[in-house]
Amino acid sequence: MDFDVVFPSLVAGRLLLAYTNLPGALRHDHQLSTPLTSYPRLQEGLYLFHNGVDPYSGGLFRHSPLLLSLFSTVLPLNRYTSPLLWTISDAVAAWALVQIWRARQQLKSKSSRDSLIAAVYLLNPYVLLSSLALSTASFENALLLLSVMFACRGQASPTLLTLAVTTHLSLTSALYLPPLMLLLFTSPVSFLASPRPYPFALQDILKKIAPFVAEYAVYMAVLTGAATLVSGGWGWMGKTWGAVMTLPDLTPNVGLWWYFFTEMFDHFRPFFLMVFSIHLAIYPLPLSIKFQHDLLYAAYVLTGLLATFKPYPSLADAGLFVSMTALFPETYAHMRTPFPALLVHLHCSLLLPLFHHLWLGSGTGNANFFYASTLVWGVGMGLGVADAVWSGLVAGVKGGAKKGGGDLAWEEWEITQE
Amino acid sequence: MPPRILKNLLAKVKGKGDKNITRIRRRRALADVAWKAYPRLQLLLFVIGYVWLLTIPSTLHGQRTYIDENALQPGQVNTNWNWGDVQRADRYLEHLELMRDRNASSHETATFISNEFRKLGIPSSTQEYGFLTTSGVVSGTNAYAVLSSPRASGTEAMVISASRLSRTSEGDGTPNLRGVATVLSLAACFKGYSLWAKDLVFVISDGYLDGMQAWISSYHGVTQSNLVAEPLQLSSGIIWTALNIDYPGHSFSHLGVFFEGLNGRLPNQDLINSFQIISRHTGGVPVLVYEHIDQNEFPDLVPDLVPQWLPDGIRRHDTTKEYAYRAQNVIRHVGYQARGRASGVHGLLHQFHIDAITLFAVPAQGPHGFHAIGRVVESTLRTMNNLLERLHASFFFYLLVGSTTFMKIGSFLPAPVLVSTAMLIGGMGAWTRARWTRQEQAEYATEKGEEDRDVPAERWVERSRPIVPALFVIVYTHALGIVLFHLCTRPWIAAGGKVSSSTFPGMSATNGRQLASTLLFATVSVAAGAGSLLARSESSSTKSPNYMILKTFNLCLASTVISVTSVLNFSLAATLAVFMGLPLTLSVPSRSVTAGLAKFALYTLFALGWLLFTPGEIAQAVKNWEILRVWFAPFVCIVYTPLVLQAGIICLLRP
Repeated sequence: MDFDVVFPSLVAGRLLLAYTNLPGALRHDHQLSTPLTSYPRLQEGLYLFHNGVDPYSGGLFRHSPLLLSLFSTVLPLNRYTSPLLWTISDAVAAWALVQIWRARQQLKSKSSRDSLIAAVYLLNPYVLLSSLALSTASFENALLLLSVMFACRGQASPTLLTLAVTTHLSLTSALYLPPLMLLLFTSPVSFLASPRPYPFALQDILKKIAPFVAEYAVYMAVLTGAATLVSGGWGWMGKTWGAVMTLPDLTPNVGLWWYFFTEMFDHFRPFFLMVFSIHLAIYPLPLSIKFQHDLLYAAYVLTGLLATFKPYPSLADAGLFVSMTALFPETYAHMRTPFPALLVHLHCSLLLPLFHHLWLGSGTGNANFFYASTLVWGVGMGLGVADAVWSGLVAGVKGGAKKGGGDLAWEEWEITQE
Repeated sequence: MPPRILKNLLAKVKGKGDKNITRIRRRRALADVAWKAYPRLQLLLFVIGYVWLLTIPSTLHGQRTYIDENALQPGQVNTNWNWGDVQRADRYLEHLELMRDRNASSHETATFISNEFRKLGIPSSTQEYGFLTTSGVVSGTNAYAVLSSPRASGTEAMVISASRLSRTSEGDGTPNLRGVATVLSLAACFKGYSLWAKDLVFVISDGYLDGMQAWISSYHGVTQSNLVAEPLQLSSGIIWTALNIDYPGHSFSHLGVFFEGLNGRLPNQDLINSFQIISRHTGGVPVLVYEHIDQNEFPDLVPDLVPQWLPDGIRRHDTTKEYAYRAQNVIRHVGYQARGRASGVHGLLHQFHIDAITLFAVPAQGPHGFHAIGRVVESTLRTMNNLLERLHASFFFYLLVGSTTFMKIGSFLPAPVLVSTAMLIGGMGAWTRARWTRQEQAEYATEKGEEDRDVPAERWVERSRPIVPALFVIVYTHALGIVLFHLCTRPWIAAGGKVSSSTFPGMSATNGRQLASTLLFATVSVAAGAGSLLARSESSSTKSPNYMILKTFNLCLASTVISVTSVLNFSLAATLAVFMGLPLTLSVPSRSVTAGLAKFALYTLFALGWLLFTPGEIAQAVKNWEILRVWFAPFVCIVYTPLVLQAGIICLLRP
């Protein structure tokens, strides 16, 4: 189907849905938005800000001052503008995803898969519901996809600027810096089937990367300065970025952190906070090295890892990972457990709201019920990520094997990997 | 040093040569075994699951009930209810009987009750309400009173309620006059003591269930589009527990406990257990589950469930009688819970996180009356008065198989889950079969242009699995389910014939409804059959047949529904496991069109038979959906029926 028809109609349908009664019921849902992305909290912060109270003096508002300044001046939030803004953000994200696909396939114009990719983003229930719930994670997703898109096109400054803004909204996004910077040097075209080393000498890498890091640091400094000016002090830093590091708000979410830290004795807290945070920071470099032939793929795997392990994840993060899978059809043939992963996701997407209801709605269950379902959710995400890594690597070996020794080489490789 | 046998064993398992190759070979061998054994495993799981369901009433399972919350201390008080209060109850009863005899309007009776509360010095009020349903308007007047706690700030409350109509035969219109008189006299009694740490809210709700639904919704400020109710003038705190008194007869022999709430929610078991202990020891009244007489109490009694044709030796054997007694209770429980029905007025309170039960005075010639029930209710309320936090210690998921015997979730939940696992394995098996097919080697060789004489005559080849047609069928059938649900809530099906006589002139009401149901049955069946056209494309050697993909999705969806529902509503999951487990697994297309159509007709009957055979059920389910928000009716139309129809469509597809 033609992209020019499908895309606008999808966006229009999405917009109609946003103006129904549905979003009101979703806004307080713990699976769709976290304390860092929740819409009611954003409104609360704006209200305090308008009335001359520092929104960062309490423990409720944890959104970035950038959102505060944006929504308190040029883009006021109300029941007419909000659905529109979030729909535009989704549309931009879907458009960016399609552009990434085109860049990967080196297409100058439309392709038959464009509509499918846009639909996979806009109709993905995780993305759609989070966006209907007006979670600010929608903006983070859109900005990240834009940044990846610019990186695919090799436009350094826009990439770094959008990534800096994303980092301001959610600190964990800084972890995308290594794969995206390296993507700027290499090509987004799929080299999964024919792995190759970095197309430059390793000695030069520092020299090449240094200006980018400096540029990113300048953007971050400017944005930080602006944020401090807007909110009138440094208080915002501890409340927004600090929340990612110290997990002050243990409102339940689909992630693996909240229950762990609810149950923990206070004197272990700093140690495990450090362990959990460093665990996240471990991934970007190895991924960027292992997938040095295809850094877009490294970024994709990283979205899955962060959606599983980050401190305040919501279904929107998982939705980004699931939707990005549409960009890599060459790996599908090598996946080992796509069907079980799908089944686990099916079970989870019913169990999560159900156990949430049993615990907080009808009162017959307790926190362990919901925690158990988030563990199943973790397993489901883990299956997906492991399969993404596996199929990405196997594509290389099988591709190499076809050129060389055929089945024999493949068997040997499987043995060495086991 | 490990012993030699162990070493030999290890060497055998590990094998010789490169251990990685061995490991891969072992993994492949395991996969091979799993592939070959999965039909047997599936059968095994089905057998275990179904047999487990059958053993639920047996004495293999179950343990004695106990009190888990230490604060409760049931039966540790001297009750204040005395013969003077019994006499007052008798006087209230005389008034109420007089009003019944002269057919006083519901508003008049409510005003009388409210005035009596006020005469006692308790603030009281009335509330008028009306529900607009498919079968007409249901309206009435509630009376209620709030006795503020003398010892606390009134942030917590307990409810003592009686509906004006008894639950006898699920609300057949028997008045609950003695229940109302008990509540009025209890109010008078409780007013005299300062020991209450929670507000006491007395509610006399009109009708059977509708009055309490109106009252409790207004109390919690919940709006319902088809309910018009006066706002409440008096309010109190958060309601923790509630007792509903149902006393329809002249005297009673036992107190029956009813506990199932809307949509399958159960109250905390501590409430039932406290009541049971108090009734037995303070009131001296034996407790029953529902009104089923316990065969342990009357050794000569044989439960109705035991068939007459059995030899007397077996019929009167203790094991048989115990099994039948427990089975009776389980069946009754499933009847309420699976359909999401409340077994009494108490069930409406569960939706607001209130633990509530109904005490049903089983009508008999004697020996108990107001004296016993008053003491039991007073003592139970004082036990609940002790609570410092909500009931949480004991069980919320249980099967009460006898008044003092229950089953924990672990002893009954695995049954439907095993059945659903068997279905899941079937679904994954179908998914794998869709991918791989046997192909004659000659054909394969020519395709590949190879000539290798040593290979076997057949070989596994991969096919592509097009999922889009199957997805279309699934979306189509569920959309059909939504339409079906919409049509079922129209007057000519749901109103039980009242409106149909005007819709179909010259026809009796029952005939009109039957005609409408039959027409709907035929239309939906044909529409479902037409759905098979969506996936009727030819299969080829490179593409798997559509029915396998559809079967995969059908089994996996049904399995997910069963295993997820089992936590929310065990009875519904068990019923679904029985109705969908084997039937969905057995669906296969036929080579002949006639056989396919016959099978499809059978599945249609399975999916939609309720339209033809249970008109009363439909009316009741729709009414429960409209007034009480019980999601059984939409669940059947939108989840169950489409899933079974999909199995029917599989029979129509090309093999």
